[in-house]
Amino acid sequence: MSDAGLAEPAPEQRLPDERPPDEKRPGVRLSIRGISLRYPNGVQALSGVDLDVRAGELLIVLGGNGCGKTTLLRCITRALAPTTGQVWLGATDLTSLDGRQLRRARQVLAMIGQHAALVRRRSVIANVACGALARHKTIWTKLGGLPPSELPGALGCLGQVGLADLAGRRAGNLSGGQAQRVAIARALLQHPLVLLADEPVASLDPEAANEIMRLLRRLAHDQGLAVLCVLHQVELAFAYADRVVGMRNGRVVFDRQRAEVAMDDVQRLYTARAA
Amino acid sequence: MAIALRAVFIVLGAGVVVQALVVVQARPQDLVSGFYGMVDIVRRSMPPDFSVLPDAARPALETIDIGLFGTVMGVILAVPLSVLAAANVTPSRWLYYLSRAIIGFTRAVPDLVWALLFVTAVGLGPFPGGLALAVHSVGMLGRLFAETIENMDMAPIDALSLTGASRLQVFTHGVVPSVLPALAGIGLYRLDENIRSSLVLGFVGAGGIGFQLLTAMNLFQYRQVSLLLIVVFIIVFAAERLSAICRERLA
Repeated sequence: MSDAGLAEPAPEQRLPDERPPDEKRPGVRLSIRGISLRYPNGVQALSGVDLDVRAGELLIVLGGNGCGKTTLLRCITRALAPTTGQVWLGATDLTSLDGRQLRRARQVLAMIGQHAALVRRRSVIANVACGALARHKTIWTKLGGLPPSELPGALGCLGQVGLADLAGRRAGNLSGGQAQRVAIARALLQHPLVLLADEPVASLDPEAANEIMRLLRRLAHDQGLAVLCVLHQVELAFAYADRVVGMRNGRVVFDRQRAEVAMDDVQRLYTARAA
Repeated sequence: MAIALRAVFIVLGAGVVVQALVVVQARPQDLVSGFYGMVDIVRRSMPPDFSVLPDAARPALETIDIGLFGTVMGVILAVPLSVLAAANVTPSRWLYYLSRAIIGFTRAVPDLVWALLFVTAVGLGPFPGGLALAVHSVGMLGRLFAETIENMDMAPIDALSLTGASRLQVFTHGVVPSVLPALAGIGLYRLDENIRSSLVLGFVGAGGIGFQLLTAMNLFQYRQVSLLLIVVFIIVFAAERLSAICRERLA
């Protein structure tokens, strides 16, 4: 079975389109419905999580260690298979996909993690260009070549994150903040509908962390991305979020606009776990 | 309790060493009494017979080329085998076990034995020597390559997978650039070892300077032996230095 070529996909295999907005949930890009996950050892990691992520919005998820934040992201990307529930990316239910269909769906679902996860021995521009590989399943790219038509776009994405002058530098020589911005540039080259960020500032100093959060907010507000970000740093959530979701014990405890969230609500996420 | 256990292990370890000395029949007194015999051989080896140097040139080159051939062929065969034998990237559990079995077998059989087999199959000369080193290198390199792949940082690989790239694209864009420098370093070290091994393969007729060395020893031409040993030393030293320089540049 070969991925070579770009034959016209069957209707059920086309990339997810944005759902037509409805009155109740305008601009929803990612819709999570009743996601639950029970591990084989009996641990209930997620219980009936419902969540919508809208275009142009930076949604931040807060919660203590083990509350299910990262597990939720892994269920969205299908790195983990949820026990029940659905994840709608546009008009496509990700939980029903496997193999090639899942890879196609992932093209518009970008993710960055705690660490940039760059290929250290490759250049910055090569790492960014890898974000477009899914659109170019040719013999050239399968042998390790970069898609030439994507290089200008890759440079453009680096410009968006302020690192165009580092295109030729080896990725292993970057600082933590720079590497994370390169990871964001790689994600942007996927032309995503949704950007997921799993504790993207966990290993960064405060200045670099604020830079990254400003960038994520700009991508949401200026480019209309739907951004779902998991954080531990409450102050960053209050500074940058449009909406805040609190999780505890695998459940959503609150889901409100940032202005409606009180510090007490957030503290209960952590202190109630310790109690 | 911990101290008593440690004492038991120390006693057991000492016992193992002592039994090795017994089995090897280690007799330091023989070394002392045989010292003058060794001095006599060294005396008869001096000065080295430089008149045979031109005759040693071609076998010396052959020795290097046998090592080079064995290494190149070994790398070509070991790379795909090691991918199958690496638990984190292998496409199939059956292929994993099969490739591990091949690696284990080719490693377990000494290169001298492989050389004897190939000499029987294809005749005397450098070709069976090169084949022997190639096959043995498949095992040695395959294991080291597989371990390198298994120990690599999987985060970039997982990140590439999440972009929707195909498995082959993830391999060529993520796995290959991540492990290539380490594999090249291992390959260069193997080249150094294979050149040294090829010296010995000549003893069984598999080409190189080893055959000339064996002949000189059998004819008691000790001055020729000492000259050939100088040539061997130069080859080994040069190969080792070149390998080290290349590996440093790759790091």
